[in-house]
Amino acid sequence: MAMKALDIYKHLPKTNCKKCGYPTCLAFAMKLAVGKAEIEACPDLDPETKALLGGVTRPPVRLVQVGAGERSVAVGEEFVLFRHEKTFYHPPGIMVQVSDTWPEDEVRSAVEAVRDTVVHRVGQDLVLTGVAVKNESNRPERFAETVALAGGGTSLPLVLIADDIASFEAALAMSGHYRPLIHAATGDNWQALAALAKRYGCPLAVRATGPGELAALAGKCADAGVPDLVLDPVPRSLRDFIATATEIRRAAVGRTEPALGYPIYLDAGSLGETDATLAAGILKYAGIIVTPPLSPASREAALTLRQNIYTDPQKPIQVTPGIYPINEPGPSAPVLLTVNFSLTYFTLLGYLDASRIPCYLFVADTEGLSVLTAVAGGKLTETLVADSLKKFGVADLVDHRLLVIPGYAAPLSGKIEDVTGWKVLVGPRDAAELPGYLEKEWKT
Amino acid sequence: MTDSSDSGSAIREVRLGATREEGGTREVSYVIGGERGLPFSGNGPERLLVALEICDDPRFWPPVVRDYVGDLANNPDEWARAAERTYGADLVRLNFTSTKQRGFDAFDTIAATTERVLAATTRPLIVEGSNEPKLDSEVFRRCGEAGEGERLLLGTAEADRYRSVAAAALAYGHAVIAQSPIDVNLAKQLNILLRETGVPQDRLVIDPYTGALGYGFEYSYSVMERIRLAALADDADLAMPMISAPTDTLSVREVREAAPADQDAMAVAWEFYTAYSALVAGASIVCVRHPLTVERLKKALEV
Ligand code: B12
Ligand code: SF4
Repeated sequence: MAMKALDIYKHLPKTNCKKCGYPTCLAFAMKLAVGKAEIEACPDLDPETKALLGGVTRPPVRLVQVGAGERSVAVGEEFVLFRHEKTFYHPPGIMVQVSDTWPEDEVRSAVEAVRDTVVHRVGQDLVLTGVAVKNESNRPERFAETVALAGGGTSLPLVLIADDIASFEAALAMSGHYRPLIHAATGDNWQALAALAKRYGCPLAVRATGPGELAALAGKCADAGVPDLVLDPVPRSLRDFIATATEIRRAAVGRTEPALGYPIYLDAGSLGETDATLAAGILKYAGIIVTPPLSPASREAALTLRQNIYTDPQKPIQVTPGIYPINEPGPSAPVLLTVNFSLTYFTLLGYLDASRIPCYLFVADTEGLSVLTAVAGGKLTETLVADSLKKFGVADLVDHRLLVIPGYAAPLSGKIEDVTGWKVLVGPRDAAELPGYLEKEWKT
Repeated sequence: MTDSSDSGSAIREVRLGATREEGGTREVSYVIGGERGLPFSGNGPERLLVALEICDDPRFWPPVVRDYVGDLANNPDEWARAAERTYGADLVRLNFTSTKQRGFDAFDTIAATTERVLAATTRPLIVEGSNEPKLDSEVFRRCGEAGEGERLLLGTAEADRYRSVAAAALAYGHAVIAQSPIDVNLAKQLNILLRETGVPQDRLVIDPYTGALGYGFEYSYSVMERIRLAALADDADLAMPMISAPTDTLSVREVREAAPADQDAMAVAWEFYTAYSALVAGASIVCVRHPLTVERLKKALEV
């Protein structure tokens, strides 16, 4: 289990020599305690102390970066088995697989789809993460050419999947400086692959059946000087994947087996049911998921699931409360009350933008709760509305005193009128009907 | 590697449907529950069921499904038969959407439709009775009576309206769906209320309320995980199998606004990801509405 800063401090040299980059040993200890520093940074520790402190201070699942630059992805650094215990921090990278036996056009269009497709949801831009290039041609130069076609790692993070060393050498010669993930070291080839990963400073996937063998192999690769590892448990079935991934995550967060403290790798194409495997990977601890190209529907659903599962359970995605002018409203434009739950705000915004009706969106602070939830939970009240009207200076923006409220807030209408002195119009329940409603009912 | 979440206390077993030997007319009955570990951990029987939802008044049903099933939508019994034989559903969930219309009083059709659907199917049946509190007692009585002996799964009991469902379940020997809004404690309280009415514990199925993918699903997912963990940690009032019915899934923007050619694919993807994730979180029964989702889920459960 994790150690407190003072307990860690006791084991440090206490010379405050600053070589670790922190002003004092205590400052370094405090960073270590929250998993934000690496024990290796202090050069003056004996190996035993290093091993002791390393085991208790590093994040239970190592943060591994794949790719370089803006679109690179960092996975791992997770602390819990269930998202309600705290939250999940690093959404899995979803890498679309292409083969070096495909015609160039096909590779190009798959790569473009990954690069250019964006799903806009609740104010976030959701994208697929990168490209996995698989060597099926058995020709190293062909593999390297396909890696180049995929951008060589300069824009999208890559996974290089091959069997023979020559292919990896050829592909790494051109992409090695962009931190592609090398897949995969096995019992047979790990020495050569670990050497390559070390030379280029790349993350390395290790592939073995079950947690025991994975831990042994990961341990060897780490000792060979490759700190950034990813574990491929070679699942036989989806159930097997879920059970094994759970066991690995449990060993990692319980710190019972440090050699399992790495992100998990999953090939969503390997079991025949891509959507189910993708979903299982997103839900159950995968860090890197490789998938065949996805249909638009699967892509949107998978990205939405990933967004859902990696949302902080204690903190809904929110927008800042305030008054938002939409479509350049004037003083006679309607004022529409709503809540600061992102989903609500962006749903409304979508319909209002499309309708071109000028209006003010008046966003009250319900701590991120939706309209119906806020009403049911007593978070949206007449007092909140009155206070917010004042705080945002709404009365100075418009020359009328009419407030349109959501249909689901109808029970509050009388109370809002009493407290604010504004006349309340109860709008429809469904945002889709709001533009039609305003066109018909709004006149000042 | 064991801890409280593996090989813990068991989820209670609930029987659905009754064969001739069991006093009904079903060709099979199902027993759900009995697991002793996390979902998909291999700790227990893991009998996972896929239900196709149908209704008796298609005006209140998602257009994408109406378009897909065509004429079936006007014949609940034909629709139910197709659900079982053509689409491969383990069971049917019959929704009395007709009770949504203003001034509904066709109580005789409730009984008749229940009987027709039972006659058209060979497997256990889930019946979603009344959509309107004022109609509860009469509607639940009629469908409960029509299914006497068949061990229906009757829905839905909620904290402020559970007496009529419970009474029908008790009088005619059915199991009950207990729905609470995404909250462990509310789920527990409702189970206790139902127990006090006399409904046996092994006739309760928890519906923790499932928000659609992208529309609150993450809360439902976590609540299902928490309910399962509580059950394994010995909380008898939460140790019931769960049912998940993400009813709003086919009316989300992504499905409604998909290009006509993509609507079915989007509907199926949205239902599939939601329902499959609910199974991973611990649901024993998932309910979907697009016929094509059923087959996808059944296949996914085989790998
Ligand atoms: C996810 C969810 C939660 C999450 C909260 C998520 C969040 N950030 O809000 C959690 C789990 C925390 C939660 C808690 C509760 N929930 Co809740 N929850 C839901 C769920 C499944 C989805 C809500 C949602 O995201 N809706 C989507 C957003 C976009 O909807 P919206 O904000 O209402 O906006 C729409 C309209 O209102 C309209 N609109 C918005 N603004 C405006 C403005 C104008 C001018 C107009 C005209 C229209 C308009 O447009 C939008 C799109 O159509 C709903 C079920 C459902 N289908 O609604 C239940 C639901 C709202 N919850 C319910 C309940 C009872 C509760 C609790 C009280 C239960 C409890 N545990 O104690 C608590 C209350 C919270 C608290 N303690 O403070 C009930 C409410 C029952 C009722 N009719 O009053 C519901 C309906 C579930 C149910 N059927 O029982 N909930
Ligand atoms: S390098 Fe080591 S000894 Fe020097 S200040 Fe940092 S922790 Fe202390």
